[in-house]
Amino acid sequence: MSIAVVTDSTSDLPVDLAKQHGISIVPLNVHIEDETFLDGVTILADEMYRRLPDQKVIPTTSAPSVGSFLELYEKLAETHDEIISIHISSKLSLTHGAAVNAAAEMKEKGTRVEVIDTEQASMALGWTTVQVAELIASGGTIEDAVALAKSSSERASFVGMVDTLEYLVRGGRIGKAQGFVGTLLRIRPILTLINGEAHPAGRARNRTKGIARIKEMVAEAAPLDKLAILYTTDRADAEEIAKGVAEFAPDGSPIIAQLGPVVGNYLGPGTLGLGLVSSESGNATAGNAE
Amino acid sequence: MSRSNTKIPSGTSSRLTDMIRATTKAVEANRDTINALNVFPVPDGDTGTNMLLTLRSVVDDLPTNSTESANNVAKTIARSALLGARGNSGLILAQYFKGLAQAIGDSTELTGEHFARSIRIASDSAYKALPNPVEGTMLTVYRECADVAERSAIANDDLISVLADVAAEAIESVRRTPDLLPVLKEAEVVDSGGFGFAVMLDGALRALRGESPAGRVLPVPMPSGKTFSGSVKADFVDASEEIDWGYCTVFAIQAEQIDIDKLRNHMAEIGRSPVIDGTDGIAKVHVHMEDPGKALTAGLEYGELSNIEIANMDDQASDWAADRRDSDSPQAQPEQVDIAVVAVAIGDGLTDLIISAGLGATSVLAGGDTMNPSVAELLKAVEDAPSNSVILLPNNKNVLPAANEVPELTEKNVRVIPTRSVQTGVAALLEFNTNLNLDENAEAMARVVGDVGDGRVCQASRDVTVYGHEIRKGMSFATYDDEIVAVGRDPLFVLSKMIEGKLSGAEIITVYTGESVSIEQAKTTTETLESKFAEVEFEVVHGGQPHYDYLVAVE
Repeated sequence: MSIAVVTDSTSDLPVDLAKQHGISIVPLNVHIEDETFLDGVTILADEMYRRLPDQKVIPTTSAPSVGSFLELYEKLAETHDEIISIHISSKLSLTHGAAVNAAAEMKEKGTRVEVIDTEQASMALGWTTVQVAELIASGGTIEDAVALAKSSSERASFVGMVDTLEYLVRGGRIGKAQGFVGTLLRIRPILTLINGEAHPAGRARNRTKGIARIKEMVAEAAPLDKLAILYTTDRADAEEIAKGVAEFAPDGSPIIAQLGPVVGNYLGPGTLGLGLVSSESGNATAGNAE
Repeated sequence: MSRSNTKIPSGTSSRLTDMIRATTKAVEANRDTINALNVFPVPDGDTGTNMLLTLRSVVDDLPTNSTESANNVAKTIARSALLGARGNSGLILAQYFKGLAQAIGDSTELTGEHFARSIRIASDSAYKALPNPVEGTMLTVYRECADVAERSAIANDDLISVLADVAAEAIESVRRTPDLLPVLKEAEVVDSGGFGFAVMLDGALRALRGESPAGRVLPVPMPSGKTFSGSVKADFVDASEEIDWGYCTVFAIQAEQIDIDKLRNHMAEIGRSPVIDGTDGIAKVHVHMEDPGKALTAGLEYGELSNIEIANMDDQASDWAADRRDSDSPQAQPEQVDIAVVAVAIGDGLTDLIISAGLGATSVLAGGDTMNPSVAELLKAVEDAPSNSVILLPNNKNVLPAANEVPELTEKNVRVIPTRSVQTGVAALLEFNTNLNLDENAEAMARVVGDVGDGRVCQASRDVTVYGHEIRKGMSFATYDDEIVAVGRDPLFVLSKMIEGKLSGAEIITVYTGESVSIEQAKTTTETLESKFAEVEFEVVHGGQPHYDYLVAVE
């Protein structure tokens, strides 16, 4: 019995990490003017952020088609008995819906595909996928994998400090962070995902204070199973954060990951953030102490 | 021990109510003097006015029926005083009525012993009500009066004789305040609130003795060798009071040709906040004047006047506050939120800014210096807030004591953040996080309060010497965390000088421009600061606050 693990490109999983854990990634689509790109395949992050500020027409994104899921599932079914497909919050993207439709067709063909709505995005989603892959590698069943995907995504947090809310607003993904819009002071909004939607998690008066706040949020979420420091364009700042919070990373060295073109399209250049999973013993997750 | 012969007769409160009415008349008669004794040259919650407004709210609730028993009246007045308390002095005054109510208890009469006990209670609870009790203020006068009252009541329980001893002690206690509080000595004044209390006791005593009028002008008790020229200072205060608000004067001028620039400069010279606009043959003038007649006379030099509107801005300010409250009242049916924030602020820019920064959960109660909201107004704003959990930002150190009374008066869970200025309030509000619970938010917001330096630039409304600085009427001066740090003619110069001294460790400096600062001036301000202090981030935003040309937060 073997189980395949699938996620989508909004997980922002670094290529080597995905390869190491045998995770298949379905790319979303990025539309820039008349061109359509595959997220992380035909357009890479750096290219996206180079073009983003100068776009007169706002780039849009779209979920993978049911067909592209079906194609991947069918291919995986040749070598695997079951599939677990772990995805971005259904409140942010139709990706989960496409996967569910493809899974229904696969069921008729006799292959069990479990689709998970993590209510997360980026490396919060990425880490849950990695944890599930680790469990499967150590002999876990599909039931164990589904249970872990749920518990891991509940403990997972995404945090993003954006330079401007402009990209989030124009992309229509503002959610409850709406309250941030129109603040008459220059602030760095810090966002998190709660119940799959963007929520305000804090505000910093400048980048320095914002970076300090992000470090605090790591400490608040500790102890951690997984930790990634995220950036769109400013790797040096991400490295500085990583240095400051190294003690909280499970192996003493947080992963630094670049936010991909789809997620980055809504957060914009200059974004810094976190993708983490708190340990089961921990009781708080970053930005979500409810 | 002689039997008491001047108790308030059993079963009637007429003498207690007479005492209170007389107290109010006395403060009315001395209000300007009490205001004139205010130490700081900032029009900062005038003591006499605050005491008077507090007393009036007590008088308004007095029974018209003189057969009401003393204990019932006492309970009513304690509550009315607290709800109507304005400013620091009003709140300390409310403790006096609380003392009366507790001392009378179930008794239907007021004896000398009751009175002595009431002042002790007032003193003890006033010390508790303030975060940092300072000697040489109304508190000291309460305490010393309580000492004398207790001794006097043991010697003779007669109400009039105890009151007479206490009234005499109040005057001596006020005379000693400059020995305890150096700033009083420097400004050659005595404590204003303490003097207000002495005035009240004088009125009460005169009422009980049947002397008329009960409210007489009381000379200010100064240390020996010093005099306080009440009349001269009172003039200064009259002038400054009108500078504070004055009359909003609006009229149109019609003539074949009007030199708008000349008119604008003219109005700027004689009044405040001038807005002058004109097209062919007609000019519209808006200006704040101490004497609206002067604006009209000046206007006549340019042509014929029409559409004259003069509004007393004191009234406007309270109307505005009332409108504000109406729009926040339940008929608007705001959506319920987990945690609501109520912030005290004045100025269109600051109000918008606070609402915009408040994550959709924040309402603004109009108020600040010279317009300290009462406990009742704060309570109403909290009751109207769309949540059972409310964070209250008093944003003024004179509003804080009143705000601290609110949690006990409501069923709602209220946390008061000790924001001493509106700029610290904004900094605290930026910590507000809808994902945290009430206590976590309160803790995060309170933490910021200590990290924000608090600067202000304003014009002296009269001549004063404070902390060794001689400040002439009309000069600009800057305070930073309540110390004077710069004085000069030009507000922007004073602002720069203040910032220069506070650069170390500063990362972001936010400057809120007042209603007197034009858009062009604000632009100049930004450019000046950014070129002069390249190492810090500046943000200059429109605050629209009265009195202060600039409010500054250093983070």
